[in-house]
Amino acid sequence: MGYGNRGEEKMSFQLIIYANLLLLLIGIFGILYSKDIVSIFVSMQLIIISGVMNFLVFSQFLYQRSLWDKIFIILGVTIIYFVMFCLVYYLYLNKDELSRETLYNNFKFFKIKKSDWWGEDNI
Amino acid sequence: MNFLFHLSERVNPFQSIIILSAAVLISSFFALSKSKAVKKFLIVLVSISLIIAFYLNIYSYLSMGSFSSFLIFFENIQMIEIGIIIFSAISVLYFISAYHVDDENFSKILIIFLFSVICGAFVILSKNFILMFVSISVFILSIFQLISATNSGVDKISLHVFEFFLRPVLAIILFFFGFSLLYGVTDFKDFNQILQSEYMSDALVILTLIIFGIALYLYFFLFPFQGPYMRMIKKGSFSTASVIWFFYFPVGVFTLINTGSLFLFFIERNNTFLPVLLIIITYFCMLAANIGAVKTGSVRRIMSFLFLFFMSIFLLNISMYSTGIIDRGSMDLFNLVNIFIILFSFMPLCSIFNNIEKNTGADNINNVIGLGRINIYAGINIIVIFLSWFGFLYYIEPVRAYLDRVDFLKMGAASSMVLVAMVTGFIFFSVNIFRILGKIFNRPSGGEAGKVLFTGSLYAYITFFSVITLLGIVTILLVILDIDIVFLDFKITGFNF
Repeated sequence: MGYGNRGEEKMSFQLIIYANLLLLLIGIFGILYSKDIVSIFVSMQLIIISGVMNFLVFSQFLYQRSLWDKIFIILGVTIIYFVMFCLVYYLYLNKDELSRETLYNNFKFFKIKKSDWWGEDNI
Repeated sequence: MNFLFHLSERVNPFQSIIILSAAVLISSFFALSKSKAVKKFLIVLVSISLIIAFYLNIYSYLSMGSFSSFLIFFENIQMIEIGIIIFSAISVLYFISAYHVDDENFSKILIIFLFSVICGAFVILSKNFILMFVSISVFILSIFQLISATNSGVDKISLHVFEFFLRPVLAIILFFFGFSLLYGVTDFKDFNQILQSEYMSDALVILTLIIFGIALYLYFFLFPFQGPYMRMIKKGSFSTASVIWFFYFPVGVFTLINTGSLFLFFIERNNTFLPVLLIIITYFCMLAANIGAVKTGSVRRIMSFLFLFFMSIFLLNISMYSTGIIDRGSMDLFNLVNIFIILFSFMPLCSIFNNIEKNTGADNINNVIGLGRINIYAGINIIVIFLSWFGFLYYIEPVRAYLDRVDFLKMGAASSMVLVAMVTGFIFFSVNIFRILGKIFNRPSGGEAGKVLFTGSLYAYITFFSVITLLGIVTILLVILDIDIVFLDFKITGFNF
């Protein structure tokens, strides 16, 4: 990333921070609104990207490109993706017709059913 | 001997983790074996390694004291927490061995189980953000593997397991984002450094706090997001509940304690919104958990709801601290007492109710009707275990002290809300206890309770917890009544962190 004069540098920093915030909000909105599991995973990835960009931007502009954040990003992203991969793979191995229908058409991350709290849950 | 001591000094405070890792290494040579003798050998090996790890954990602290480095810190509270995790592990091993010893992949389950204990220990020890994040993520991964391995034979469980683990995955993603913001505010690498800096009032720190709060709320499945947790416990194998209750949740509580210093900073600064928000959440969680337990006839759901109630007690402790009813030391003590009450009551109850379900073939509270009359010894043990829940009487003293020094008419709205939440929550909680006890000691109507057979190991297991509970009750009563006994030179109220 090239450095311009001081004003340009500050402006681009703010722009990137705003873009990150926007990514986070889109991710949260996607998780709350989406009805299929693929969209939810994509929304989660938007939050991860937003976090990664935060690390990189802060490192670039504030801390003279330190190494600590790069290690955090590599370890963090690897582990998060590994956990997500395990979840998807587990589902792929065990998925039946009913689960497929639920996951792709009728899956809400924060679905609250009355039976989760009141009375019995006949699953 | 000197060589061993020197070695122990060099690896301090990782002695217990090294022992557990060595057990993993040895077990891995037998991972493909299906022989019963090998399985028995592995159970003995894992048990011995856990006992040695438990001993070394205490020994290393007593002989070498506290330890702190760039990545980890090991003080008295960490020593207690690791002790709790290893003790839980011994109990979970009992459940896994009892219900999965005939599984083909039993050896692999044990390896994953030991690995999750090691990850739990790292979560507690971690100080640096990187280690903290990596250890909690790997811990969630290992718990996921453990749950999926122990549920491999259960029909149509995959969707519920998947739904359950999506929440902690979102929680760790939010943690990742939160750490990125903390890094932006300051390039400090642990919470203690941030607490001592002047950046604490920065807007980004407050945003981080909100994100961490949401992540932990999701992690604990607090009301009204308890759906996936309820469904997985209801549908899962017998050992599922034990893994979630005695591993997943305690490690979450220790993470909360680790990150809690950030929250407490704002509470100590007389922030108005945080205490009020905490009180409202506490009130809803306590009430909803108890009402949910009253409205269901499924034993698994009742116990799951009651467990959520115990989780909301942690929030109650923080709320009480935020309104000045108790001080910081009392809050830490109450949190610790709460963990002990959870473990020492839910472990035997879980084993008893699992046994009843296994014998009667149904998950229904009506199957326990008359059990206390048919099997008097089990009935007495159940009463003693339920008595441990009256350990909450410990709250009476600080509340009384608070009410003594505060004018009722001039009491703040927040304090009144906490007290109302506490009283209402405990009334509903008592209703639940008496409902279960009423069923157990009712006249047997059908023949279901008569079918329940208790094995020798189960008797030994519940007797152990009953004896510990009785000792605990006697000690607490002595402390409350302020009776000094020579051999009890230790005073619980005098315990400081």
